[in-house]
Amino acid sequence: MAQDMTLHWSSGSPPCWRVLIALEEKNLKGYNQKLLSMEKGEHKGKETLDINPRGQVPAFKHGNNVVNESIAACLYLESQFKSSGNKLIPDSAQEQALTYQRALEALNLQQRLADLAQYTMRVPEAERHDSAVKRNREALAAELQIWEGYLQKGGPYLAGKNFSMADVVFFPLIAIILRFGLSQEKHPSLTRYYNQVKDRPSVKATWPPHWVNNPPGMDMLKDL
Amino acid sequence: MAKDMTLFWGFGSPPCWRTMIALEEKNFQGYNQKLLSFDKGEHKSKEVMDINPRGQLPTFKHGDKILNESYAACMYLESQFKSQGTQLIPESAAEQALMYQRMFEILTFQQKLYDVVYYEYYVPEGERLDSALKRNKEALTAELQLWENYLQKMETGSYLAGKKFTMADVVGFPVVAYAFHHGLSEERYPKLTEYYNLVKERPSMKATWPKDWQENPQGTDKLKDL
Repeated sequence: MAQDMTLHWSSGSPPCWRVLIALEEKNLKGYNQKLLSMEKGEHKGKETLDINPRGQVPAFKHGNNVVNESIAACLYLESQFKSSGNKLIPDSAQEQALTYQRALEALNLQQRLADLAQYTMRVPEAERHDSAVKRNREALAAELQIWEGYLQKGGPYLAGKNFSMADVVFFPLIAIILRFGLSQEKHPSLTRYYNQVKDRPSVKATWPPHWVNNPPGMDMLKDL
Repeated sequence: MAKDMTLFWGFGSPPCWRTMIALEEKNFQGYNQKLLSFDKGEHKSKEVMDINPRGQLPTFKHGDKILNESYAACMYLESQFKSQGTQLIPESAAEQALMYQRMFEILTFQQKLYDVVYYEYYVPEGERLDSALKRNKEALTAELQLWENYLQKMETGSYLAGKKFTMADVVGFPVVAYAFHHGLSEERYPKLTEYYNLVKERPSMKATWPKDWQENPQGTDKLKDL
C-alpha cells in the first residue's frame, strides 16, 4: 500500500507537513519520499514536475493516482484508508460539520500568512508599498484573533474533543507562525493548543528536520 | 430537512453559487434563503455576524451546524446525504483522486481570477499599478491554459474529473462561468467553452443561475484579451 506511494516534500512547508501527518495518522509508513530544498529550486526538477506539472510541493501519488493539493491528498487518504489508523473525519453530523468548517477556514489563515511572509517574494521591488505590508500584518493579526477565540471557547482540538482533519490542516500553520516569533503571551489559547498537539506521535514523527536543534532564523511576527 | 437550512447569499460570489448548486444537486429545495447586498454592507449585518463572525457570504447553517466555507458545506451535504440526489464523490480510488485534486486546484484558479476581475476591490487605489494587473493577467492566462489543457486530454463531453459530474464541477463550474461572464474568449478557449456549454444546461445550474446576469448578460470585458 504505502510502497505504491511517493511524496516529494520540503521541510517546514505547511502543505507538505499536512500530508506527512495524514500518512502517519492513517498508519501508512514506508512510502517512497524525497526531501527537496525549495531554496535550491529542487521542486522544479524533472522528477517533481513529472508528478506535479505546477512544480510545487507537496507532490504526491498513490500508484497512478496523483493528488498534489495538500487538503485533497489528506481527504483522499482518509477516504481510501478509512478503517486504518485514526479516523480524521468524524461520523456525527455535529462534529463533522465543525471539522469541515474549520479545515476549510484554515485556508484563510494560510492566505493571510502567505500575503505577509511571501510579500517580497511575490511582489517586485518597484511595486511594493509599506501600506500593503501594514494591511497584511493587520489582516494576519485579526485572523489569529479569530482562531484564538475559537480555541478559547472550545477545544482542546479545533473540532472539539477529538483530533481531526481540521487539526491536520491547521496545526502546521500555527507551528510555523509561532516559530516566526508570534507572542505566546498574547495568544494563550493558541499556545496551549500548540503545546497539546506538538506531542502527538504523528506530529513528532514528522517534525520538520531543519527545525530540530535549529533556532528560528526569523522573528517577523514577534510584534503582531 | 431543507426547512432547517438557512443560506445568506449575494450576487457576484462564486462561493455562494457553489453552496446553492450543492443544495440543488442533493435535492434540497425550499431552504430558507436571504439575498443580501454587498454594496450596502449587508454581509456585515448582525444576522450574518451571529452565524458568521467573518461577515462573509455564503453564510450557511443546517440546524445548529454552521458551514460557511462553501467547500465545507458541499462536503458536509454530500457526506450526510450520500444516497440523496446526485452522488458527488466517486467511489473508485482513481476517480476520487482526480476529483479531489481538481476540486482543490480550483481554488488556485479562483484566486487568479479574483486577482484580475476583482483587482480594484482588493487593492486600495493608492497601491494599484498597471504592472501588477498585467502580471495578474499573465498568471490567469497561464492558469486558463492549464485547465484548457486538462480538458483537451479528456474525451469530449467530459467533466472536470472525468466522465461524470462530480463535486469538482460543483466547485469549479462557477469559476469557469465567471470567467466567461467577464469576457473570456470562446475562440481561444474552445475546450473550456465546450465544458461551459455542457454544464450550464444542468438543472441545478439553471435553477441557481445568477439572477443579476439574467438582467445584464453582458458582464464586463476584463478578460477578453487574455
